[in-house]
Amino acid sequence: MPKARTGPKQIIGVTMMLAFVGFTLLPIIWALILSFRPTTHLFEPIWESPTFLTLDNFNTLARSDFPIALFNSLVTAGSSTVLAMIIGVPAGFALAKGRSHRKFIASWALLLLRMAPPVGFVIPLFLIYLNIGLLDTWAGLIAAYMVLTLPLVVWSSWTSLAQIPDELIEASLLDGATLFQTLIKVVLPAARPGIVATAVLAFLIAWNDFFFALIITRSSTVTAPVSVMNFVSYASVDWGSIALASVVLTLPTVPVIIFANKYIVQSMGGAVKG
Amino acid sequence: MTIHKKLMQLSAASLAVITGFALTPTKAVAEDVEVLLFSMPFTRALAELEADFEAKTGLTAKIDVIGQDVFENRITLSFTGKTGDLDVVHAPVIQLQRWVKAGWLRPITAETAAMATKDDILAGPLDSFVVNGEQWGLPFLAGTGMMAYRTDLLSEAGFDEPPATWEEMLTVAAAVKEKGTPALAMRVAPGQGFNMFVYPQIMRAYGGKFFADYPTDLTPSMNTPEGLQGLEVYSKLMNDYGPEGIGNFNFGEVTAAMQSGQVAMIIDESGLIAQTLDPEKSQFADKISIAAVPSGPAGRSPAIAVHGLGIPADAPNAEASFKFIEWATSEETLTKIAISAGFADFTRASVADNSDVTERFKSIHPDFLSLRVQMLNDAIGHYRPLIPQWPQIGQAVGENINAAVNGIMSNQEALEAADEEIANILAE
Repeated sequence: MPKARTGPKQIIGVTMMLAFVGFTLLPIIWALILSFRPTTHLFEPIWESPTFLTLDNFNTLARSDFPIALFNSLVTAGSSTVLAMIIGVPAGFALAKGRSHRKFIASWALLLLRMAPPVGFVIPLFLIYLNIGLLDTWAGLIAAYMVLTLPLVVWSSWTSLAQIPDELIEASLLDGATLFQTLIKVVLPAARPGIVATAVLAFLIAWNDFFFALIITRSSTVTAPVSVMNFVSYASVDWGSIALASVVLTLPTVPVIIFANKYIVQSMGGAVKG
Repeated sequence: MTIHKKLMQLSAASLAVITGFALTPTKAVAEDVEVLLFSMPFTRALAELEADFEAKTGLTAKIDVIGQDVFENRITLSFTGKTGDLDVVHAPVIQLQRWVKAGWLRPITAETAAMATKDDILAGPLDSFVVNGEQWGLPFLAGTGMMAYRTDLLSEAGFDEPPATWEEMLTVAAAVKEKGTPALAMRVAPGQGFNMFVYPQIMRAYGGKFFADYPTDLTPSMNTPEGLQGLEVYSKLMNDYGPEGIGNFNFGEVTAAMQSGQVAMIIDESGLIAQTLDPEKSQFADKISIAAVPSGPAGRSPAIAVHGLGIPADAPNAEASFKFIEWATSEETLTKIAISAGFADFTRASVADNSDVTERFKSIHPDFLSLRVQMLNDAIGHYRPLIPQWPQIGQAVGENINAAVNGIMSNQEALEAADEEIANILAE
């Protein structure tokens, strides 16, 4: 068993890490404190009046459109991720293992889609949706999110699946499995870290989107990030509700990250050895 | 079958699934009148009265109240895309000229003239919706500038009365700051509705102006000795006597600073001033009083903001749209909202005469309604110039004024730059 190291370098390293973690967590901790503060004490440091706490912001948030918007976010981010995975992973598999001479074109097309700014997509999408009646619909938003997530999924799964040894696939096919069975039962389990990490990233891209939802949703399908902006009004800013909504918006990503953490770490390290 | 073909089949099957899903619309059934408003106490209260509208007219309405930034984006897309999905929209007067010029609104001149209660609407706010001789909306809000001040802090500094002029403000602010509390907070964040809502109160008080002779001569004229004096006073008040971080304060921070006791005086819009007097929102409500916006050598020029309701040019049922506007701006609706939401910026004379309303505002501050009337009378309609280019000009000038307060450029340079930018925008 390796001996725990406690030299000056380690102490400096841990101190720096804790300082960085504290710095990055500060906005979330601050938002959490604001969530429990009454309007009259929002801008007062917590140590000056630590007992002035309230659950009023929870009532305000519950009575607003935010819960519906949160549900819309869950449906659209979740569906777009699932659909992007269903389409993107086989596409990534085809690019990783197929013998097409046009892979170079595919790689450039995917890169171009990843690099293009969202505003380049959203205006054409708005005009198309306007004509075919997809504005302010779940389906429209899910399809729009796939513009963001699908290239990521294809590109990322292409990279992950390329690491799977060809011999493994050939052995499965020789044993009589169909290509679909090989993909589902042999290739995907072997590439699980990369695939899970891809799904998590795709979900987070859609979950945190503000711009697409701002343009192509209205009241029926508005998502949580846009709904938070509705607390900024002409005559006041409801900081307590904004803080609480921000915390709530962060919560669903925490179990996802915890669950997927080991896969993300593995995917970064390269899990499958040839 | 080759691997390539099988993969193609797999992808095609996946694509079919999503195509089927995407073509399943989930949109709700439309109401008779679709209304889009941005969030403020009046609009939030109006949304809760949807059932009243239905009872009164037999029509159904869906009132969407959203954040102001979200509203700006949605309304621009709806107007430019000619979506025809909105029947009534929130129409700030400051945007009206631009919207009318772009052909985004439908005139309601004949409908307004036929209203039996037209004369009850305050003349100034009503006339501010007249462009090119046509009426383009009816007002529901007329906000004006006011001052809120801490009686205890001013008294400690040796003053029993709030400053009546900007010169006095400099003296009072210095004395209050000397005692340890930041003296005055106003909006400094750049924007036609932010610092350009409050700054012209000082500029005009010193004789400064945007144009040589509005509306006949639109030669940019901010860079004058009077204009410079006004900007110097504003910069000094904010930098020397304002709270920390004032260089980026907007209405939210200004109001919060007063409500939490971080500043002795604020000058802002009447609806926000009312919030500092509300004990549920303001820690020092019992120590806060109100006063007129200070005057200067050229007189007093309180800010004014008028908001109303208009009908988009492509609204499918203009008759139903106008019925909604008539109901939303009626004496009955305004009175209900004045009482339920403490809405002070109403636009009908009869509401101010209603005994329940006067009682409601006496509990906020005995002088609130009379001071509001005084400020509205002192305000000029073109406080912010009523030209189509104003939103653009207001933004550009607001950035220069903000840069001056934050020391990025001198006051003189800021005014020179402002004149140059106004000329460029007008030349476009």
